[in-house]
This record gives sequence, structure tokens and C-alpha cells, in this order.
Amino acid sequence: MHSTVIKPILAVYTGLFLLFLYGPLLVLAILSFQTGPEGGPQFPIIEWSTYWYQHLFGLTPPSRIAPLPIEESLVRSLVLAVATMIVSTVLGVSAAQAFRTRFRGSGVVFYLIVLGMMVPGVLVGLGMALVANTLGIDRHWWGTAFVLHVVYTFPFAFLVMLAIFNRFDQSMEEAAWSLGVSPARTFRKVTFPLIFPGVLSAMLFAFTLSYDEFSRTLFASGRDLTLPLAIYGTFSVEIHPNVFAFGVLTTLFSFALLGVYAVLMTLSVRRAKRVAIQEDA
Amino acid sequence: MTTTTATEGMPAAAARQRALRRTALWLLAPGVLWMVLFLVLPILMMVYVSFWTQTTFTIEPTLTVKSWVTFFTSETYLSSLWTTVRIWLTVLVATLLVGYPTALFVGLFVRNKTLQTVLLVLCVIPFWTSFLIRVLAWRPMLGKEGAINLILQGLGIIDTPIEALLFSELSVVIGMTQIYCVFMVGPIAFMLGRIDPNVIEAARDLGAGFGRIFRTIILPLSMPGVVVGAIFVSVMVLGEFATSAALSGRKVNLLGNIIVTQVGSLKWAFAAVVGVVLTVIMGAVVAALLRVVDLRKEL
Repeated sequence: MHSTVIKPILAVYTGLFLLFLYGPLLVLAILSFQTGPEGGPQFPIIEWSTYWYQHLFGLTPPSRIAPLPIEESLVRSLVLAVATMIVSTVLGVSAAQAFRTRFRGSGVVFYLIVLGMMVPGVLVGLGMALVANTLGIDRHWWGTAFVLHVVYTFPFAFLVMLAIFNRFDQSMEEAAWSLGVSPARTFRKVTFPLIFPGVLSAMLFAFTLSYDEFSRTLFASGRDLTLPLAIYGTFSVEIHPNVFAFGVLTTLFSFALLGVYAVLMTLSVRRAKRVAIQEDA
Repeated sequence: MTTTTATEGMPAAAARQRALRRTALWLLAPGVLWMVLFLVLPILMMVYVSFWTQTTFTIEPTLTVKSWVTFFTSETYLSSLWTTVRIWLTVLVATLLVGYPTALFVGLFVRNKTLQTVLLVLCVIPFWTSFLIRVLAWRPMLGKEGAINLILQGLGIIDTPIEALLFSELSVVIGMTQIYCVFMVGPIAFMLGRIDPNVIEAARDLGAGFGRIFRTIILPLSMPGVVVGAIFVSVMVLGEFATSAALSGRKVNLLGNIIVTQVGSLKWAFAAVVGVVLTVIMGAVVAALLRVVDLRKEL
């Protein structure tokens, strides 16, 4: 009875669950093809059109609906995400490398790092704004907001690398050391190529988390908006299907990113295999 | 011969250990410094500023408990505190109820590894859409002319559209449940996947029904997953303000929304008080959850 009655019920349930997860996004995608500028963000679809996509790129005649300020904010968000990705991956790899040696106080340091992903953005954002105000520092997306992004993404990179190092075969490094290769060179030539897939995952995590982050950015970024802040700004006013069209485009962008990640991952795995084959021969 | 190498090897090994430890320290220093400066310091600053004096547009570093008194005597703030706790508990229970059956199916009933991975990936894909877009997506779903009302009317279940769906506490709960339930599904499915099928097989051979197997084997073994999921969901829901801003039409004011409004009107000291209250609640919740299950022992 275990699998004859319960399993089909749970299977149907899981289908409904996925519908619950995807339903709103599907509706959003459909409504992004609403006609404009008079069509609103609701059913029925008056006429199918790509008006709102053109609206995003400023290709439509001016109307009462102001275009989303995406151009500059997109550049800011991308720069911020890349910078965050680089810094948090470097910090994450070196911290995880340090954790391979036993040292006193490692428990405290571990929790200190993990705290960064647990504390809600509103709180760190507020705290950072207060610190900046007190010290008389101007708040900018590339300054105060950037350091908070790293606080948020560094723990993810650290945990990914920790998991990688846990399954790491140390005998390779020891072989290099016993042949008299310096630790720095060993890391570059032996360790790094081995952990590269993990580094790639850490980078992906850091980039996407930073690209989408807004609760930290809200208080810490000053006047210039990042992309999520530009979207957040539409919350208080009447929304139009241009936000939906934008949602579809960012999702496609994310998938493209995921595709790049998959390609790089396959390439690095294939290279590792080829090296292994050469060694066997 | 062997003794000499051992005695010669000892100091060398110790020196190597020391060198390794020194390298570890240098590798760790930047990260730790970063966290202390940009995470610990801001939080401490928030606690400190909550005792500063608030004037109309500025704050002065004269210590006072005035902002704290204002918080605990004001109807608005206390009701917001209550709303936050109520929504947090509702969403926590909702994510558990909605997520558990899916986790049960993915973690325990699907034994095909490929299908398992596909299902988990399907759960994660929505996270590739911006969080704010996913929140906004509920507006055309729940509105008076929204998809759900249209479908229900089309099926003849209701005659007039349900207006309470959007811009109410219900819409906030629905939105948050959808956004956060995956954080419940993941950890639970992970724990369920580690249950040895032979244990369940043995219980069934001994004549236990599904109800009994679930109560005595599956549920206790999945508890660490439930706790981890609950920690994720709690921390995220307690720090929320965007979902309520987008879906409640300003009717639901969480503590997070209060912080945003106070900062907007430069009431930094009040904002800091709310922030400290939120931190204390969160710390208590996480500590209580960790008490239920000893995670280090289980994982």
C-alpha cells in the first residue's frame, strides 16, 4: 500500500507544488505581451504585442508612462556584481584554505563568517548607514553597498570551498612539497586546478546573489540606484507591464549566465579527464 | 636508526606545523577583518545609536532611553511587532505544510537519482528570477481581475471576485510562502534521502502501516531538516519588508517596513531601536530552534 496509494498522491501533490512555484511567473510572462500603452497589468490580454519590450529600450513614442531607469542601473549592478564576485571568491578560497589547518578559535571564526549570510540585509544596511553617517562618509553603491555585498556573498563562497576541500586528496600537494616545490607554486600549479570547479561555483553564487541583492543596498547605496532598487522603486507607484517585460528579460539573462557556467564547468571537467588519460598513457 | 629519524623529525614537523598555522592566520586575516569591520561594527553601532537622542532631523550622541520608551509605549510599534510575529509563525507553518509532502516525495519516494535531481533543479530555477520580480508576479495573480479570480469564476466556483486576495495579510502570507517554501523542501528532502530504505522495509515486514512508519521513523529522522529549513525561513521572513510593501498595499507593516519608513524620515534612533528588537527576536528564535535538535550531532 505504501507505494501504490501514497506515491501517486504525493506525485500529484508535487505537480501542484511546482504549479504553485511557477504559476505567478507564467502569468507574468504572458502579461508582458499585453498591448500598450493603454493595456494594464491584468487580464484579459487586449491584443498581443511586444510594446512593453520596446518601451524598455526606449523604442516607443513617449507616453505618460515613464521608462524604467534601467540603463545606468544595469551597468552599476553588473560592475558591483563582478567586483563582489572577485573579492568574495578570493576571501572565500583563502579562508577555506586556512581552515584546512587546525587552529584554536576556528569555531568562533566559522560562525563569524557564516553570520554574514544569516543577518538580514535590513539590519546590516541600517548599521552600515549609521556607521557611515557617524564617520561622515558618503554612502555609495561602490563603497558602503559593495562591502556589504561581500559580507553577504563571502560566506557562500567560503562554504562552497570548504565542501570542496573536505573531499580533497592531500597526497597530490604533499608530493609537490616533498619534491621541493614552494607552497605558493604548489597552490598555483596543483591545488588551484583541482579546486577550479568549486571556485567557479563560488563565483556563480557570489555574482547572482550580488546582482539580485537589494535590502542591503537600499540603505547603503546613496542616491545612485542599482537595478533591484530601480525595480523596488516601482512598488510604491502603479505598476505597468514594462516591469513584467523586464522580469522576463532578467530571467533570460540569468539562464544565459547559467549556460556560461555549465559550459565552463564541462570544459574544466573534460580538461581534467584529458589530463588523467595522458597520465595513464 | 629509526629513533634518530624520529627525534630529528619531531622538531621539523613541529616547525612545519607552526609555519602552516602562521600561513593560515595570514590567509584568514582579511576575511575576519572584513567581517568585523563591515558586519560586527555596524550591528554594534546600531545598538549604540538606539540610545542616542533623536531630534527632528538629526541624532545626537547624548545617551537616553527615550526611543526605547517610545517604541514600547506606542500602539503603532507594538502592533507592528505583533504583526511580524504573527506573519512569521503563519508563514513558518505554511511553508512546512506546503513543503513537507514535496520533500517526502522527492527525498524518499523517488529513488531514481536523475529524477530526484531534475525535481530539485525545478524547485531552484525560480530563484533565477529576481526576488522582487517574483514578489510582483503575485499582483496579476491575486488581483480583483487576477488570474485566480478569473479561473475560479470560469469554473463557476464563485460569482463575484474575491477582493480579499490582494492587498491584505493573506496576500503577504501567500507570497512569502511561495518564495520561501523551497528553503524548507531542500533540507528536509536531504535528510529524508539519507534514510536507509532497509529500515522502512524492515518496519513494513514487521507489519507497520504507513502512518506508524511515518510517525516513528520518517518524522524523527527528518527533524534536523525541518529545523534547518525553519531557521532559513525564520531569518528571512523576520527581516522582510519588500513582500509586504508590494502585496499588502501598506496595510501590513512589519518591523522591517517600520525601519524603512523611519530611515526615510531620518529617524535613525527609532530605526535602530526597531533593528535591535528584530535582532533580539531573531537570535532567540534561532537559539530556540537549535535547542530542539543538536545539529552538529545530526549532520
